[in-house]
Amino acid sequence: MTTRFSRREFLRSTAAAGVGLTLRFTIPGGVDEAGAATSFEPNAALTITPDGAVTVHITKAEMGQGVGTALAQIVAEELEADWKDIRIDYPINDPKYGLMLTGGSWSVNWTFDALSRAGAAARIMLVDAAARYWKVSPDDCTAERGVVRHLPTGRSIAYGDIVAKVPITKTLSEDDLKKIRLKEPSEYRVVGKWIPRLDIPEKTNGRARFGIDTFLPGMVYAKVAYPPTREAGKHTAVDDSAAKKVKGYVATVVTPGLVAVVATTYENAVKARDALRITWDQGPNANVSSESIFAAFAKKAAEDTSALAWLEQGDVKAAMAQAPKRHEATFTTDYVAHMQMEPMNCVVRFADGAYDIYTGSQFQTFAAGTLAATLGVDPSKIRIHQQYLGGGFGRRLEPDIMVETALIAREVKRPVKLIRSREEDLRRDFYRSATLQMLRAGLDGDGKVIAWENTVVASHPGQRWGPDFVDKRGLDQFALNGADHVYDIPNQLVRAIPVATGIPVGYVRAVAPNYTFFAVETFVDELARLAGVDPVEYRLSMLRSAPRLARVLKLAAEKAAWGTPLPPNVGRGVACVSAQEKKSPTWTASVVEAQVDPATGRVRIRKVTCAVDCGIVVNPDGARAQIEGSVLFGVSNALKEYGTVANGALVQSNFHDYQVLRMDEVPDVEVHVVDSREYPTGLGEPGTTTIAPALSNAIFAATGARVRSVPLLPARVLKALQEKA
Amino acid sequence: MAQLLINDRTYTVDADPSTPLLWVIRERLQLTGTKFGCGIAQCGACTIHLDGAAARSCQTTVAQAAGKKITTIEGLHPKGEHPLQKAWIAEQVPQCGYCQSGQIMQAAALLAKNPNPTDEEIVAGMTGNICRCATYVRIKRAIKRAARGV
Repeated sequence: MTTRFSRREFLRSTAAAGVGLTLRFTIPGGVDEAGAATSFEPNAALTITPDGAVTVHITKAEMGQGVGTALAQIVAEELEADWKDIRIDYPINDPKYGLMLTGGSWSVNWTFDALSRAGAAARIMLVDAAARYWKVSPDDCTAERGVVRHLPTGRSIAYGDIVAKVPITKTLSEDDLKKIRLKEPSEYRVVGKWIPRLDIPEKTNGRARFGIDTFLPGMVYAKVAYPPTREAGKHTAVDDSAAKKVKGYVATVVTPGLVAVVATTYENAVKARDALRITWDQGPNANVSSESIFAAFAKKAAEDTSALAWLEQGDVKAAMAQAPKRHEATFTTDYVAHMQMEPMNCVVRFADGAYDIYTGSQFQTFAAGTLAATLGVDPSKIRIHQQYLGGGFGRRLEPDIMVETALIAREVKRPVKLIRSREEDLRRDFYRSATLQMLRAGLDGDGKVIAWENTVVASHPGQRWGPDFVDKRGLDQFALNGADHVYDIPNQLVRAIPVATGIPVGYVRAVAPNYTFFAVETFVDELARLAGVDPVEYRLSMLRSAPRLARVLKLAAEKAAWGTPLPPNVGRGVACVSAQEKKSPTWTASVVEAQVDPATGRVRIRKVTCAVDCGIVVNPDGARAQIEGSVLFGVSNALKEYGTVANGALVQSNFHDYQVLRMDEVPDVEVHVVDSREYPTGLGEPGTTTIAPALSNAIFAATGARVRSVPLLPARVLKALQEKA
Repeated sequence: MAQLLINDRTYTVDADPSTPLLWVIRERLQLTGTKFGCGIAQCGACTIHLDGAAARSCQTTVAQAAGKKITTIEGLHPKGEHPLQKAWIAEQVPQCGYCQSGQIMQAAALLAKNPNPTDEEIVAGMTGNICRCATYVRIKRAIKRAARGV
């Protein structure tokens, strides 16, 4: 039986979308008059089949956030589906899904309203169909747990049976959708309930399929030879005579920007690639180093007085001049790599002019556009078959691995699998920018901040991504968010100095707020000390216009026993943030309790107490898991992670010299989530941003030494201890 | 040609004896539960059992594995119901899930030797396995739950 929909498309702005994004839904005009359907697809969000299964189409990447389960809960709630009937899938990219982008802790925030209405619309259509089937008024019918009931007679029909037997003809206009009365939180049966994540069982038995687990018939393996410098290196001569002698050699692919070898197995492809003799033009960045980058940052910060004002209010100059007390400090942060556990990889089949791409992507819309432009085909010829992501953290926003694999597959005309080694993955990463931030404040006689100035020097990822990702002045707000903190300070100036360094930067979990809040929240702590006020009290005095942040700050302090005595060399530090964005903040505060070994500078975090207000919580255990994970990602960033640059590339190569958090340094993590009925925001990142500043503040509380560089390495702590003494 | 006994089945593979076992298990035999993470025995994503002991398959050659009993996540329990696998679900451990086969295999070897490990013993046994999502708190809880037999 065929189903014909006369489709009408409409656009719906999502609530709090922040950057003017829209979600696109397709609503059917009605099924074929000839009869009922094989499946009911009321919109792009879900499909119901006659067996009663409700498949929610998850257009967000599953990279560990449990997003599939959470989004399905939102749909199921208003659909009045029975949870046991819920299935999820991850569809191939299609314009009907709107912007396919997963990041920014946006997933629930951007979709909550739209998916609620998608579920509600389907329910209304099913109720209408059942009522017509019984020739009764839909007003006398209710829907609950996947069944429509006619209240006066007690008759009932399951959703699957409606799909099988009854033409579903009701349509809803955009206006109708807007007018649907959604449930109050007190009516929730699925949202906010403890529901085990749907993706977890197969992640315990090896069956979960990640991009790297893709196999296609006739598939061969490619390895790319990358230039020694990270950016702008180029091959000038390629000799593949030795590579050709390697067992299983298939082909050498040389394009203006790429050298690769293809062989029948992974290990033979490695051997053949290693046998290539390539002459490189290292390009203009061969002498770029951490020293040259930070020197350039410092010079720019000091000299570039014409830097762009990203945020300006009041009269900083006048207020600063009047202030009886002034304070200034400079903060730096090092490059940070994603180090997602699954190295970048991709499988591409090129056939009949179309590219089938198997990988895990956080940004299919951008990838499809980039691939189409690079390969010279229509975007409809790019089909990204979404797989589980073995970690994303922003790395899989980038389409680089897909482009490389597709270029190779186009040449060899066989399905190609490209797997980067960990060394290649790290050296070809798009790092979180190194930064330098120069803060100045003017305090009045009571120690209150009356003037605030911050100069943020960083590379802006959006400049590489293109004009859609920066403002008219070339500034990427995602390189600056957080510098617009929510403290009540009348006169403020935030200047932005974007610097390209020869080391390309990208978006790494929690993005700018990692470094902006490190500077802001450490500096505020310094000001509190200068004013002689308790750091919690000092912050609260500036949070009158942000009561939800004040509430979580008080909660974290109370739960962490703020102010109670501690042993020597142990201190508590606090930080509170409006991450990820001021427009859709998740109010988060953490207290870090840390122990410093004054002899070595080694720091051990004993405990993190994190309090969060993210509005409505869709999946409470998933929410806790995200907060635990984001806090510990912050611990890893704050204690251990740094990339150093020499000769135009990262020095570190693998987990032995780029160290991340392991179980032996995991502190106790205590999570407190505020019960809220506010519109939901996100949880994947905000916790991360609180840790480095809270740790720096804890070190100060423990020792009186102030560390202004992340990570807070033993050598830096020792140096600060010596400077204090 | 090498003969490998994996999950009680014998496989004959045409691979150089120096080939890392990882690539044979994953890319030839398509037992993809075993993951590639670092290639230098620093992350534990590729952990398997060799004669019951945890080993990094990225640093184990085909020659070294031949003649030994190899167990991968797929062979840990016929139905995926090893006490650790059940505990992993009960504690909702995995996030992205990529490292979890290795974590479970490492923990299974630990519990086989030491059925009731202390916190310190768990940390010592598991510190070679990286989880970038940092599910460590739940991994620890799940190991204790499995040790308690619930």
